[in-house]
Amino acid sequence: MEIHLQLYSILREKLPFDAKGRTVLQLDEGATLADLLNELDIKRRVVISVNGVLESDKSHQLRDGDAVKIFQSVSGG
Amino acid sequence: MAHGYNGKILHVDLTDGKFRVEEPGEAFYRKYMGGSAMAMYYLLKEMPPGVDPLGPDNVLVLALSVLTGAAISGQSRMTAAAKSPLTGAIGDSQGGGFFPAELKFAGFDAIVIKGVSEKPVYLWINEGQYELRDASHLWGKITGDAEAIIKEELGDDKIEVLQVGPAGENGVRFAGIFSMSNRANGRTGMGAVMGSKNLKAVAVRGKQRPSVADKAGLVKLAKWGAANLDDSDIAGIAKYGTAETTGSNQTSGTLPSYNYNSGVFDQWEALDGTTMYDTVLRGAAEGKQDREGRDTCYACTVRCKRVVELTEGTYKVDPHYGGPEYETTSTFGNYCAIDDLPAICKAHELCNKYGMDSISCGATIAWAFEAFNAGILTLDDTEGLDLTWGNAESMVKLTEKIAKRDGFGDLLAEGSERAAKKIGRGTEAFLITCKGQEAPAHMPRVKRSLAIIYATNPFGADHQSHEHDPAIEDDLEYYTERMAVLGFTEAQEPRSLSAEKIRFTAASQRMYGAMDSLNLCQFVFGPAWQLYGPADMVTLVRTVTGWEDVSFDELQKVGERRLNMMRAFNAREGLDRKDDVLPEKLFKPLKGGVSDGWKLDRAEVESALDKYFEFCGWDVSTGNPTRVKLEELDLGWVADQLGL
Repeated sequence: MEIHLQLYSILREKLPFDAKGRTVLQLDEGATLADLLNELDIKRRVVISVNGVLESDKSHQLRDGDAVKIFQSVSGG
Repeated sequence: MAHGYNGKILHVDLTDGKFRVEEPGEAFYRKYMGGSAMAMYYLLKEMPPGVDPLGPDNVLVLALSVLTGAAISGQSRMTAAAKSPLTGAIGDSQGGGFFPAELKFAGFDAIVIKGVSEKPVYLWINEGQYELRDASHLWGKITGDAEAIIKEELGDDKIEVLQVGPAGENGVRFAGIFSMSNRANGRTGMGAVMGSKNLKAVAVRGKQRPSVADKAGLVKLAKWGAANLDDSDIAGIAKYGTAETTGSNQTSGTLPSYNYNSGVFDQWEALDGTTMYDTVLRGAAEGKQDREGRDTCYACTVRCKRVVELTEGTYKVDPHYGGPEYETTSTFGNYCAIDDLPAICKAHELCNKYGMDSISCGATIAWAFEAFNAGILTLDDTEGLDLTWGNAESMVKLTEKIAKRDGFGDLLAEGSERAAKKIGRGTEAFLITCKGQEAPAHMPRVKRSLAIIYATNPFGADHQSHEHDPAIEDDLEYYTERMAVLGFTEAQEPRSLSAEKIRFTAASQRMYGAMDSLNLCQFVFGPAWQLYGPADMVTLVRTVTGWEDVSFDELQKVGERRLNMMRAFNAREGLDRKDDVLPEKLFKPLKGGVSDGWKLDRAEVESALDKYFEFCGWDVSTGNPTRVKLEELDLGWVADQLGL
């Protein structure tokens, strides 16, 4: 299935510079957010939205065509 | 032998122009460490209760710590403290840059400023020598111009200049004190205090670097930080700035929008740090923003400061004035429902040129926006400025009018709480102030520990006074080792105000109080996601000072001492628990996004305050320190002042 991915801030550097953090990923049917994070080798604390809605459950199953945004974030500023 | 500090405090009375150099012993430095705790010592000792914050009897303290100037990231910061003209309570603000280290190298650990000069002056400190110089020709100058003139007339481009802009001269109640024309001791109106004393600036230059007890140990700790920065949780802040948090706050429903009525702003991406990096940082067009669009503080490898340059379009922005943090993109942006990033950068530039706190300024404007959109303020009130949500042009114009105390801006220069009292007509309901200070861009309806801190913090609503809730909620698993040093191992439910959450609030507040007394940057040091953790903070103090037996508990005591002295200062002014109140708005539901419907519960907050005061060892009915607590902190003299 296809996942429309957008990475922000330092996470953008997981992708080639010209991608500006945006790509379409092919994942196996039934893949979860945890699978996606593993695929991207993201181990730090992140905030994730799926189709514009906060999703904190890493076992959340993704669906074909989902738009996933991932933010690396700290709580201060 | 003392290490890390000069052992000299400069006292100046501007009324008669006389100086005095005090040389406190090592016990004084060990007890207060510097910064905010040291400043509180002088304010309590040297200022009687009840003074006019903008009168000659207010005392302004600029204080460094025993660590300032040591060659490691996150130490070149300074406290500015006085009675606040915005809140009428204790005022305290922290700022970074190169001035703090340079003041240390010029020979002093703090400056205690009293009185009022008959005419504008600036203080020149050079290699341990000091003098007051005429500043009549600088009065009315914007920060960049005044800084350039001072450097030219003293003949040294490496001089660091700390100053007030025209807003401070004009008594704007949220005026700040600025160095480099872009580093702010922004909060609580310390610039208005400095301006009221006719003190335009402090210029410093020196090469007297205090000794370090363990040079090799310091180098090792500094190198560890540099080597681990890219793999740390502040790597994003370093490269993309604090506004990188915009998107995650939007997703979590904690991006204060429409003057705190919503936790989401649909156009958030226009303001995000990633967008800033791609569009407005100097050098972005050529892909050179990492080199040209970021700046730093003395000896800091993080380089989180933004440098914005705009040469085309409606808003031209001069890079000399830096670039906005997340707080600023929020107050001028989502608070006002404005998605025009160049306009926000312009408002930020104006704040730095004229010398104003961009949090209170933007939030005060947002208050006016809400009153206008509610139909209470009219075009007659605003002198024709259309304050419809999202009107960037009016926001920028109003920022400049506030600095100049021009027309409607003169009213807003008093801060939103005084403005609401004057306007009336129900506009008090739109306030987001605690003790008169406008709330920063972190939402108590989502991160509930902020309700405790915003309500009780002695200098009003503040986001840098403790660690926010995520560290003891879902994020605890990432920071187990560091959080265990503070004594926390069990994750709490999101949006809870459990006893453990409140204990965490009080404990992390002590650590942040210690950091503000050691003048450490709260991105570089802290209890969770920061580059260095609590154990590193202890190592740093030992390494620099040579106090081998310093422990984390001792540093926590310094933070606790600082907080107790602040509460004592406020008690002298007649404040108590009745002043520890939250804006009514926070008890009303948020609208939109994941946080739709979330609100604070009044009974739960009051119960949480009871527990917080218990954890602090204070009188639960008044919220004030007790003699027992003060004596435990070796502050019996403060208990005497309070007549306990």
